[in-house]
Amino acid sequence: MKNNSVDERFGGRNDGVAGFIKSNKVTVAVYIVTILLYVVTLFVSPSFRNWHHLMLVLVLASFLIVVSYGQGIVILVRGLDLSVGSMITLSGVLVAAWVSQSNENILWAIPLVLLITTFIGMLNGIGATLLRIPPFVMTLSTGIIVFSVVLGFTEGSPHKGNAPRFLNGMMLDHTAGIPNIVYFLILFIFVAVIVQSYSAFGRKLYALGANPKAAHISGLRNNLLTISAFGISGFCCGLVGMMLVGYTDAPTLTMGDPYVMSSIAAVVVGGSSILGGKGNYLGTVGGVLLLTILSTLITAIGLAEGWRTIIQGAIIVMALIMSSVSERNTKIASAQKNISKSVPETQKV
Amino acid sequence: MRNSILERCFNALLTNGAFLALVMYLIIFIIYGISQGSYAVSVYGITVLFNNSIVIAIAAVAETFIILMGGFDLSVAGIVVLTNTLIAVQQGAGVGGALLCLIIAIGVGGVIGCINGFLVSRIGLQSIAATLGTSILCSGIALLVLAQPGGYVPDEIAYTLTDSIGPIPVAAIIALLIGLISWILLRKTNFGAGIYALGRDRTAAELSGIATRSVEFRAYVMAGIFSGLAGFMLSAQTGTGDPHLSNSFILLTFAAVAIGGVSFDGGHGSVIGSIIGAGILALLQKTLFSVGVSSFYTGIFQGSIMLLAMLVGSLSLIISKRRAVS
Amino acid sequence: MVMGKRIKKSRVVNRSILMVLLVSLFAVGVMFVADDAKAEENKRFKIFLSLSYSGNVWQSSAANIVKALAKTPPYDEMVELTEVISGSNVEKQISDYQSMIANGADGIISFPVSPTGLNRVIREGSKKGVLFFMYDSTVTEPSAYNVSYITAGHGENTAQYLVNLMGGKGTVMINRGVPGNSVDMRHYNGSMAIFKRYPGIKVVNEYYGYWDDAKSQQATSQALAAYPDVDGICSQLGEYGVLRACLASGSKKIPFIVGEDTNGIRLAFADPEMQKRGLKGVSAGSPPATAGYAFKLMMELLTENRKDLVHNIEYPLPWVEWDKVKLCKGDVFEDGCNCFPADKVAPTMTDEVLHPVLLPEISLKSAQTGEPMPGARIQPLPKDVTEARSEPGINCNPKSGKCVDPVYEPYMVTPIPVPK
Repeated sequence: MKNNSVDERFGGRNDGVAGFIKSNKVTVAVYIVTILLYVVTLFVSPSFRNWHHLMLVLVLASFLIVVSYGQGIVILVRGLDLSVGSMITLSGVLVAAWVSQSNENILWAIPLVLLITTFIGMLNGIGATLLRIPPFVMTLSTGIIVFSVVLGFTEGSPHKGNAPRFLNGMMLDHTAGIPNIVYFLILFIFVAVIVQSYSAFGRKLYALGANPKAAHISGLRNNLLTISAFGISGFCCGLVGMMLVGYTDAPTLTMGDPYVMSSIAAVVVGGSSILGGKGNYLGTVGGVLLLTILSTLITAIGLAEGWRTIIQGAIIVMALIMSSVSERNTKIASAQKNISKSVPETQKV
Repeated sequence: MRNSILERCFNALLTNGAFLALVMYLIIFIIYGISQGSYAVSVYGITVLFNNSIVIAIAAVAETFIILMGGFDLSVAGIVVLTNTLIAVQQGAGVGGALLCLIIAIGVGGVIGCINGFLVSRIGLQSIAATLGTSILCSGIALLVLAQPGGYVPDEIAYTLTDSIGPIPVAAIIALLIGLISWILLRKTNFGAGIYALGRDRTAAELSGIATRSVEFRAYVMAGIFSGLAGFMLSAQTGTGDPHLSNSFILLTFAAVAIGGVSFDGGHGSVIGSIIGAGILALLQKTLFSVGVSSFYTGIFQGSIMLLAMLVGSLSLIISKRRAVS
Repeated sequence: MVMGKRIKKSRVVNRSILMVLLVSLFAVGVMFVADDAKAEENKRFKIFLSLSYSGNVWQSSAANIVKALAKTPPYDEMVELTEVISGSNVEKQISDYQSMIANGADGIISFPVSPTGLNRVIREGSKKGVLFFMYDSTVTEPSAYNVSYITAGHGENTAQYLVNLMGGKGTVMINRGVPGNSVDMRHYNGSMAIFKRYPGIKVVNEYYGYWDDAKSQQATSQALAAYPDVDGICSQLGEYGVLRACLASGSKKIPFIVGEDTNGIRLAFADPEMQKRGLKGVSAGSPPATAGYAFKLMMELLTENRKDLVHNIEYPLPWVEWDKVKLCKGDVFEDGCNCFPADKVAPTMTDEVLHPVLLPEISLKSAQTGEPMPGARIQPLPKDVTEARSEPGINCNPKSGKCVDPVYEPYMVTPIPVPK
């Protein structure tokens, strides 16, 4: 009996494509919607029908793709990171101040900035675990405090400071017809997926998110895991700050603001549960692409800003309803499966 | 009887978030008074102080209803800005116009609250995400209602509500009324008991026969209505409509609730705390101004006070748990 | 322990509340003492600077100009300047104005967040004799002084220049500012009025860049993907982002760009490489120098060197055509130069921080640091000011009935005839 059920479970996983689809329904749905939407944009604007436009979507999506990874990991362990906006700004301001328009200090500046944002992220985690401050309030406060410090550090505005050449090249130059940042994205997503879905660390995160008490009993170090999740979010913010500076050439103190709500939206649209324990990064990436393509489509149509905003809101609500419906279906399906399985068992007895 | 008054005070400080907030308020007020002089206690000075905090205070009351259930309502900001623009474009004047505005505020808040309640309690969406969606929807509609700042709020609202009756600011009376109504709702009705029960333990609440879905739905409607009222007060303050509400509004609302000692896990806290929390935010701004701290660093103080309030909150939980164990 | 527990919690709270009340009564006493001590200070003009929103180079340049002027003799002996950042929150700015009035302000110089939301507090302050000077953005409250370029017609003039460049034919995109903002509306209406006069001009797309280079760049990239062959882009602040988007679009050709005053776009206009790729345009827009002009006007009123002043004052529209860009060697605009080398300022820095006639006391360095130019003294302003048109919703309250609707007539360029 026992052996049988274990086999079945593994069998389900090893079923290849069909099995993958079965276990990642929401993710697949997100990608289907994204692709459909992309096809729509191709019909709306013929000039979108080229390689260049696809690359543009990726470049525009790259910032949100990276922030959302950290946000997603934090949400996975039942947290929420509202400090991403300030941390992105912090990273951008620091890197532009330390490495202005050259590549001189870049070797120490980039790691140092990443270290700082990771450290602040871990502070968030420490507050949320050891000090038992709800993540919502903890990250809200650090966000406000970090922004205040940046404001003081720059005395109101980053007057001097351009993007380091390296970052400029990273964001705008092409290699073999593909923007450099796209290579970086592929690498990033690859590593990110491995860490979240195929590593022991990642599995622990899922276990923690699904049931903290059970995770604790089974010997996981919950606090350490949560702190490192927040650390990852800080690290991602550091990366995005640099990417944004490379993209725009000069930091502004508001450059991180749009990413707080949109990163949460991307994670949610990507099918993760905001209560933690469920979801995967590929889904989030799909969510980001969906939102980005939607935004290009809206710009192409030239809608009034009011309508744009309404559509964005509606998409979030619709995505939520979709994923909750599909979740319910899978629950019902698995419940029926259990019943149908249990019936013959009892008959046997 | 061995416990001295001091010790009891200390205990109250740790266990009662609203009381802690009150003490913080008074301490900051003393600093403010010393640096500001007699203006701080003049009728005008006090009226200004109440006027500055009333909008966030009402918004924080709205938020408290949801946070007490362990949820989050991000739509407060959206409802406030939508109400504000609708009030600004309505053409009524005089007392009739003022009443119409009030109806708009309650109506808009109620409708959006119903949508939130439906999404969360019936469809079962996660509150933070669902209200993020409705909030964005509201701000989109606000931009369609009013394409640029403008419009007028009837003078009856704009002047009466920001004035003072004798030595008592109207805003203080409103704060008291809102506090009283929400306190009665939360503490004296089954509905309120249901909210607290839901926040403490959802399953237990369900098992004990509380109609959790209905309680949740009604809480969102109430939160919506209070948000609408916050929009109404904002219109009174500015006397005009503006389709752009600063991003910081929703953050300040949460900050007020946090400072007021409401537990973000749900089930613990009071609206009085949130109202005082909003007062602290407004007072803090004035105090830093009069002490002469560069406004670059306002955020450091805001953030620290929030963390302090939450730290004390979590500390008191630990202490009460230990006591329960011993 | 048991006894202690029996005591009702409410009684504990009540007693402590009483205690706290006593303490606060004591504090009130302290306050009156403190107030007396304060009156002893020596008399200087108390001026408050209220920034709406910090974080971009424009705002801090404007603030630095005012700070530098306040430290330039003889103002350094006469002025006590306090800077306050009010964020983008109307409520906060209302509260800050009230604090300033309460702290005995003689004058408040400010970038207002809302054209209408601050009117009441301004009226209250004006009644108490406080001078309100708004720079760049305006309010509709008649008791305030508005010093701004808005009515000078950025929209219609730049749009006409673009139409002239395009020969009256072709496709145009518009990069707007912040949605729901009256300045954006004024600029947009001005531009559209011109574009509508030329049937050959097609406005294919408009989007919002929020007066921010990063957002403008992202939105322009998206729009360019839909309309890669666009002939001209009419931009509000954020034109450097527009240019960056064009450079990244992969297309060799750069469309004509008309925009505001960032150093980046001016340098690009002067760059032969860019010119070869087709870049032409005009740089005209919101100058931070307005803040300095407003401050000096206010000081002249306070020191009674100026008897009366109209309330709506127009600052001339900065105007630098692509072939008139000239690099400055020093820190000031001299010999007609109008932009700075890339290693001296960020590309997003607005060049119009200087004015040879209105602000000879200010150098690039003072706009960057807020320190006065060594050896400079405040020079009196020219006697005459340009009165701005009272446009409804901009600097005039339509309820008062004295407003004049804007006429969108370009005067910086001669319109070309409509092609047949």
